[in-house]
Amino acid sequence: MALLADLLQNTLDGIALGATYALLALGFTLIFGVLRRANLAYGPAIMFGAYAATWASQHFHTNLFVLALVVLGATILAGTYVERTCFAPHRAGAAAAAMVASFALWMQIEEIAMLALPKHLYPFPALYEGAPLTLGPFSFRIEALVMVTAAVAICLLLRRLLYSTRFGIAVRAVIDDPRAAALAGINVPRTTALAFAVASAIGGAAGFLVAAGDGQVTPMLGMWSTLKGMLAMMLGGLGSLPGAVAGGLALGLIEAHAHWFLGPQLRDFVAYLLLFALLALRPPWMNTRSES
Amino acid sequence: MMTVRDLVTAYGKIEALKGVSLEVAANSITCLLGPNGAGKTTLMMTIAGVLKPTRGSIRFLDKEISGEAPDAIVRRGIALVPENRLVFPSMSVLENLQAGAYQRKQSINEDLEKIFSRFPRLKERSAQQAGTLSGGEQQMLAVGRALMSRPRLLLMDEPSLGLAPLVVEEIFRTIAELHRDGTTVFLVEQNAHMALQVAQHFFLMEQGRISFSGNPGSLAEDEIIRRAYLGSAR
Repeated sequence: MALLADLLQNTLDGIALGATYALLALGFTLIFGVLRRANLAYGPAIMFGAYAATWASQHFHTNLFVLALVVLGATILAGTYVERTCFAPHRAGAAAAAMVASFALWMQIEEIAMLALPKHLYPFPALYEGAPLTLGPFSFRIEALVMVTAAVAICLLLRRLLYSTRFGIAVRAVIDDPRAAALAGINVPRTTALAFAVASAIGGAAGFLVAAGDGQVTPMLGMWSTLKGMLAMMLGGLGSLPGAVAGGLALGLIEAHAHWFLGPQLRDFVAYLLLFALLALRPPWMNTRSES
Repeated sequence: MMTVRDLVTAYGKIEALKGVSLEVAANSITCLLGPNGAGKTTLMMTIAGVLKPTRGSIRFLDKEISGEAPDAIVRRGIALVPENRLVFPSMSVLENLQAGAYQRKQSINEDLEKIFSRFPRLKERSAQQAGTLSGGEQQMLAVGRALMSRPRLLLMDEPSLGLAPLVVEEIFRTIAELHRDGTTVFLVEQNAHMALQVAQHFFLMEQGRISFSGNPGSLAEDEIIRRAYLGSAR
């Protein structure tokens, strides 16, 4: 009975964690889809957004809603900077050059954020500071509830944007075949830049939820966001948007269970081991299309 | 309608087009024949704006269009049905057609109906993912997608490639119908026999240059085919 309760509690925690991972993976996947490039500066742009909001909260009297907007705005700004400087010039070919450039921007953005806020840890206004909700043997953090609700809302909004608008058709056409999209009259560079901005906004939303959920930010947020986004995307099958959501939830559940049953040291190890197995075995849902 | 002059397009240092000049008359079907590697697809991609020429000019309706972006070329009224069709495989048939009308802000229902009546099979499968269609159906979809932009000049790059003979006949019937309805067609074809039946004018291309041009009647068909595939004696 105790084991069952643990399993259920871990599953609840895993879903809350996985909701943020799903958002991170959606943003990462959208960029990967339109550019067919891994954007290593994805997380650092999110970190820049979270740091901008932290800075704002220290200098001005702000409420959470304003801070959320600051995170979104600053992440979109940093994301657009990354797109303009490292991906737009290398659009035709040169995948390696773009990836190395995104690594350089990772360092650059992190340094800028740490010059402004050099300490190792800053408090971030918390989503909620009361006691967790308890239901029998289970407890559920209110902030986790907010995170899940927000993540579901953002997923539904993105789905609507991509599947029921003219812009969505253009984005998906670019993801399917950029050359054919151009021949159909779609402005591929502009569509790519806008999709990048949307992806940055989704990443920024995830960054805000993580910072406000934890009540703190550290410089690790950048690398952490890139790694979690990439890992969840790979678990979900490399490049599929519904897969990104599934991969994020799966990663959250794996981490929550591994954390409880195997201890915090083995938590990430289990996730990476699973990824290694997936990449080695390549189950049919893994999208292994090559670059054409 | 379109005049190409001394067009040079290079991949790095290798010139795939070495000064191509040709003309496509309004309301005609013009055909470009030639062996593999002659530069036919490069020419189509350069006209459509996907490749940038290093020299030369492309004039369409008396305006210089060389070097413009692909979406600007579509706006001018040129649409390319690319080699190997390149439909959007994960999108539905209907969404593929909507993507083709991306430039147009007005209602597209009338155009959709026209295309569905021309290709009834696309209507039956309008909700199906394009990647699951047969080769012939994908070709119909690629043509339909190009027509959604209401082009004045339709470029087609090897529409019969890899299709069964009956489907090839259907494609050429469609080309003749489009022509009758007022669309100018510029066609690259390997299937010279079929192409010469519908075209009013043809060009032969070899090694990046136009080596011969004429009307289908001006030279015996087997002589054209011999030159197109074996190259002319020099």
